[in-house]
Amino acid sequence: MRTSASSRCFSQRQRDSSLSDSELQEAFARGALKPGLNVVLEEQPKRRNDVAGLRQCLAEFKRQLAWVERLDVTSGQVADPTSQSASDKDAVDAENDFQREMSFYRQAQAAVLEALPKLRKLQVPTRRPDDYFAEMAKSDQQMQKIRQKLKSKQEAMERSEKAKQLRAMRKYGKKVQTEILQRRQKEKKNMLNAVKKYQKGLSDKLDFLDEEQTSSQGNKKGSASQRIKKGPNAKRRYKNQKFGFGGKKKGSKWNTKESFNDVSSFRSKVAHNKGPGKAGKGGKKALNKRPGKRARQKMKSRAR
Amino acid sequence: MAAGKRQREGPTVRPRKRAKKAPSAPEPDATPAPEEYSIPPPVSQGKWKNKERVLIFSSRGINFRARHLMQDLRTLMPHSKADTKMDRKDQLFVINEVCEMKNCNKCIFFEAKKKQDLYMWLSNIPQGPSAKFLVQNVHTLAELKMTGNCLRGSRPLLSFDPAFDKEPHYALLKELFIQIFSTPQYHPKSQPFVDHVFTFTITDERIWFRNYQIIEEDASLVEIGPRFVLNLIKIFQGSFGGPTLYENPHYQSPNMHRRLIRLSVAAKFREKQQVKEVQKLKKTGSKVLMEEDPTEVVFETPAEEKPVEIQLVKPESKPIVKDKKKLRKIQRKKQKKLFRTEASA
Repeated sequence: MRTSASSRCFSQRQRDSSLSDSELQEAFARGALKPGLNVVLEEQPKRRNDVAGLRQCLAEFKRQLAWVERLDVTSGQVADPTSQSASDKDAVDAENDFQREMSFYRQAQAAVLEALPKLRKLQVPTRRPDDYFAEMAKSDQQMQKIRQKLKSKQEAMERSEKAKQLRAMRKYGKKVQTEILQRRQKEKKNMLNAVKKYQKGLSDKLDFLDEEQTSSQGNKKGSASQRIKKGPNAKRRYKNQKFGFGGKKKGSKWNTKESFNDVSSFRSKVAHNKGPGKAGKGGKKALNKRPGKRARQKMKSRAR
Repeated sequence: MAAGKRQREGPTVRPRKRAKKAPSAPEPDATPAPEEYSIPPPVSQGKWKNKERVLIFSSRGINFRARHLMQDLRTLMPHSKADTKMDRKDQLFVINEVCEMKNCNKCIFFEAKKKQDLYMWLSNIPQGPSAKFLVQNVHTLAELKMTGNCLRGSRPLLSFDPAFDKEPHYALLKELFIQIFSTPQYHPKSQPFVDHVFTFTITDERIWFRNYQIIEEDASLVEIGPRFVLNLIKIFQGSFGGPTLYENPHYQSPNMHRRLIRLSVAAKFREKQQVKEVQKLKKTGSKVLMEEDPTEVVFETPAEEKPVEIQLVKPESKPIVKDKKKLRKIQRKKQKKLFRTEASA
């Protein structure tokens, strides 16, 4: 029988409502019982919805005020010219953040478009002149923070964009490089083939040598001229700068009037052992490791 | 709290000051200028008729986010008043008396429970109705995402979803929202401009609140904040009590929600554990010996018996070859030789 297979829940119900076996059998005959676990469906308690009461309450509670006092607008969304499907109210997906916010935005837009002419008619100003200064909802500090955040965001975007471009460029450069290498290999191969042919006596033309030579020589010349233009390499240049190359060396390390008067490297914050980490007198004490003259002399005599 | 006390005294002093100031320093641009954006006369020169006042305060135990939201509402609504946090949670009808003492006829009361759930009561004070909401997804003015700004105390436009007119309980809520959130014209603390919009939208059986700044006349907007979602629980006929007019069937209490989540996690864990146990049993349990089935051999036919052969002669032993290919090589060599000799001959 079905009852034997039914769940504990069911048996409990059986006890509660004193369902007899015969009743269950009837239910089974009707097809009300399905094979498997039979769980009692909990009936949802009836939620109260007193429509008449609500209406009456609204009628009592409503205040007849001019629209200027209330400034309320009930309107649908502005029809979006780009997407027709999203303009449907039913299509708005609450889980889709962007779509949902867009629907709110468009509703606000519709309200503004409806209300602004009305306000203008009633001579309520909607735009504050640029020289009207008053306290704002968000402080200047807060707005500054917001601006900074926007800026940093934009910068980050730009940076990533640049990096992307660079990556693409590098990829392209690699491609070009391989192409060049392949071309060179091919040229070499051709050349070798031609040489072989000449050696075997299949052809007695030597012009392939000429053109190769001219082209390669031209290249070499170009590179040589470039080298001349560039000057010595970086290491040499650095060494020249460090140890001097050419010119008079004598007296070059002496002070001149200009160097003497130049105090740009003097940093008052760091000078006189005022390191960045040490502040005030404590720092001074820690720094003054060398004992005084008396103390030193005493130490010396003691050591003797 | 000291701050609360100060604020309590504030509103009583301020209007007097304003009143004094207004006649002594009349605005120079009071006459309507012909240019497009003229400075309007100060609000103190108009007649302030709608004496709506909203008390905004909370119970004890609200978290920082709720507190910030409350502060934001106070800054955005110049017709609001503040009070100290309420101690008792059980007797909400005391709020009616508090509001009466503060001269307010509307109230926004934030009720915090368990340090995490925030409920909001909106009420019309002397005779109701009142509504209780669960507040979800709170974002405050202090967040850096929302870039708009508006004058402190300027009057908002209120934009409502058309769904507010379709059902009676939403209609009631709309009226309540209008009366609470619209700033009265010529309120002494308000600004003479309308430069932001509050939107109330019904999506997903909830009411979503947004605040946008009006930037241009062609209705380009920027969000100011705060934003929150109101999940309606009940509407009562009285103020903080009385018979229930409406009960939201889609509402699920946060406790219930958390419990369901916990249960589902537990069920998943239990299922995994059971599967593990079953696998363990399978591994360790000895293999059950199958009893011999008599029907198994039904189709087996007995094979014919072959006579047993006995090999009497010793099998020929294979020659042991070290290089297996050697023989073949030798053969090939021989053949080649033969071929050559034939060719030469």
